[in-house]
This record gives sequence, C-alpha cells and structure tokens, in this order.
Amino acid sequence: MSALDGVKAAVLLFVAAILQVSIFADVHVLGGAPDILLVTLVAVALLRGSIVGALGGFFAGLLVDTATLGTLGLTALVLTIAGYWIGRYGETTGRDRGHAPFTSVAVVTVLYLFGVVIVHFVLGEYTAAGPVARGLLPEIAWNLILTAPVYALVRRLLRPLDRGDYATEVQLLG
Amino acid sequence: MVRRSVLAALVLVALALLTVSFRSPTSGALHDVQGYGATALRPFQVAAERVARPFRDVYGYFDGLSKAKSENARLRREVREWQAVASQSVANERQVAELKRLLHFEEGPTFPQDYRSVNTTVISFPNGPFAQEVTIEAGSSSGIRFGTPVVTADGLIGHVTNVSPHTATVTLLTDPTSAVTARDVTAGVNGLIRHGQGSTLILDQVPKQLPIAKNDIVVTLGTIDKHYPDLYPRGIPIGTVQSVGISDTASYLSVQVTPFARFESLDAVAALVPKNRK
Repeated sequence: MSALDGVKAAVLLFVAAILQVSIFADVHVLGGAPDILLVTLVAVALLRGSIVGALGGFFAGLLVDTATLGTLGLTALVLTIAGYWIGRYGETTGRDRGHAPFTSVAVVTVLYLFGVVIVHFVLGEYTAAGPVARGLLPEIAWNLILTAPVYALVRRLLRPLDRGDYATEVQLLG
Repeated sequence: MVRRSVLAALVLVALALLTVSFRSPTSGALHDVQGYGATALRPFQVAAERVARPFRDVYGYFDGLSKAKSENARLRREVREWQAVASQSVANERQVAELKRLLHFEEGPTFPQDYRSVNTTVISFPNGPFAQEVTIEAGSSSGIRFGTPVVTADGLIGHVTNVSPHTATVTLLTDPTSAVTARDVTAGVNGLIRHGQGSTLILDQVPKQLPIAKNDIVVTLGTIDKHYPDLYPRGIPIGTVQSVGISDTASYLSVQVTPFARFESLDAVAALVPKNRK
C-alpha cells in the first residue's frame, strides 16, 4: 500500500469518527443508531487488508475515545480487533465477493456491540446485554443501508489491490 | 507473522491505555494529553454539528408539526393548572422569604439566584447503549469543574465527570452510576433518583407509608459535600411522578419519574457555575 493510500484511509476514518460522535450517535430510529465509523472501517479493511484494518481501527477508536473524553483505549481495542478480522476476511474468503461488505458489516456490527459489552464487563462496569439485543436489528439495518454508498465512496478513493498484493498464506483454488 | 505482530502490538497498546485511563479517569498525564486531543478535535466536532443542525431543525420542525394539535390541547390544560399553582407559589414564596428573614435562616447557595449559567452546546452524543454521557463545548476555562450540574431549559440532565480546558463530559441522569438526592416537593418526601427503564428515572429509597402520588413534582434536594460543594443545588426541577408501585416484598415504594429534560434530543445546555467562581 502506498503512503498516499495510507493518508486517504486516515482522512476517511478521521471524517467518519467525527461524523459518528457529532451526528450519527444522536440519530436514533426504532431503537438503533447508524455507525458510519464501523461501516467505513469495514470498507477500508476489506480493500486494504488486515494490517491497515487493525491500524485503522486503533486510530479511529482513539479518536472516538479522545473526542468523547471516554476511557482511552476501550473503543480502540474493540475496533482494532474488528478491523483486523475484517481485513483477514477480505484477504482470504471475502475477496472479489459482491456480498462481502454487507456480510462483514452485519457480522461486525454484532461482534462490535457485544465486544463492547464484554470489555465493560471485564472492567467491572455496568453492563447488560438487553439494551444491545433490543437495538441490534435496527442498528444492523441502518449499517446495511449505509454500506453501499460508503463502500462505493471508499472503493473510489482506495482502488482494489491486485491479487499479488494480498496475503499469500491462504491460497484460493480456481 | 507481521500481521499478527502488528495486531498484538496494537492490542497491547490499547490495553495499556485502557488500564491507565481506567485507573485514573479524571487526572494524570494521560488525561491531560486526552484533554489536549479533545481540544484539538473540538473545531471539527463543532463544524460537523453545525452542518447537521439545519437538517436536525427541519426534522424537528416536521416532527413537531405532526404532534402539534394534541400537544396544544394538553399544554392549554396544563397552563390552566399551572396558573393556579403559580399564584399560590408566589404567595408562599413571599411568606417563606419573610419567615427566613425573621428566623435568620442559614442555608447554602440556592438555585437559580446563586449560580450563573455557562450556556453551551452538545458536541458529541452517547455512543452506544452504555455511554450515557455527552460532551459539551465548554470546559475549565469557563469555570466548569468536576461535579458541576448541567441543566436544560426543562430541568436537570446530569453533572460533569471529566473536564478539559475547552470541553467537558456530562454524565446523564440516565447513567447507571448516577444518583441524585431528590425531593418530591408536592408530598414533601425525600429519595434518591436513579436510572430506570429507557429514559425514565426511579425515585428510590422512599418508605412505603409515605404519600407519593402521580404527577408530583420532583426536584433536587441539594447536597452539601466539602469536596464538591456545587454538586446539585437545591431546587433544580427533575421530573414528575409517573407511577407509584407497592409490593409486599420490596422495602420501598417503586416510584417511576418522567424527567422534564428530553435526553434523546439534547442540544443547548447550561452548566451551573457558582457566581463567586470566575
């Protein structure tokens, strides 16, 4: 990946993080709020792989934790793992699949929300799966609605890599 | 191998930050760095919020129109009721002031006369179901400190739990860690306001025999703490009693309170700073 791609990915995630904490976190319809940051991270990780996904998740999470004066590292930890996991999926079985962004967003929305529950639980803070479960379907729906335009925009800025640039540890037949 | 090393390094750094931040959430070098970071991000958050505001206003306008007719009828009815209460209150207030003067009554700062309001906007909203916190665009440079109460035009919303020079975090009443000593001014009963289901609140610790009724008004009781002397002055409106439940097994009444403040659409808020603080 070129340095220019890195700058583009950083700018995309920066803008998404600011939009998320300032606008989208306040949009509650049917009990769920869209997470444009998560959708953008999924798009970046799918197009640029696990290392960029993990670095992007860490960077975006730190921005969110800093902007909200929250517990530093909490969002960064969960988004780092989410970015890495989606990046690996993009490098291996998810490559060239049209449904990959939608599948990834749906799955990572669930994992992200319950990941936050687990971290809160480990920290000994108040946590309950009920509110998460109730808001899960609307949030997945919101994120899926955002997926197509966000992925198209990110794909326009970060052109898909050649096959040779992907990981070589997992070889697909055919 | 490189991938896993990068992931492991990032996870370790995140865990280290998490540990330090969790152990010392409101002070220390890391908190200062976070404060500078929040200050640097503030212009971007403000810009995004201002870009979104016209859209929010349009949505709010049409949302308000759809509810206007029924709301108008309800408000007219309430105005008639409140007019009667207000005229009685004015008479009572004069009598109380006179009695206090005669008795040389000693009391701490009271709301609103002993406080000035730092009016500001909300620049970030609760991110997820557990984060019942908002960030406001004013901080220690405006006189805001840890524990400063924050209100809207409708009533109390919470208190400041983290401060940087130009922003502050407000933990809302709907947060599970929030607890406010409160008074049902209609019945003259004290209790503790905690979070309830959704955006409702619970008036806890109210013994069963006390006469709380629906539509009673609940205000802050006014706590005096030597460390945080400005935490919740007496008399800030919190909400009205929505329902009162009683069961054989519970030690206290189950009092559900509907807050005056609309937590789901916070925009402009005011932090209450004592008048003697710059």
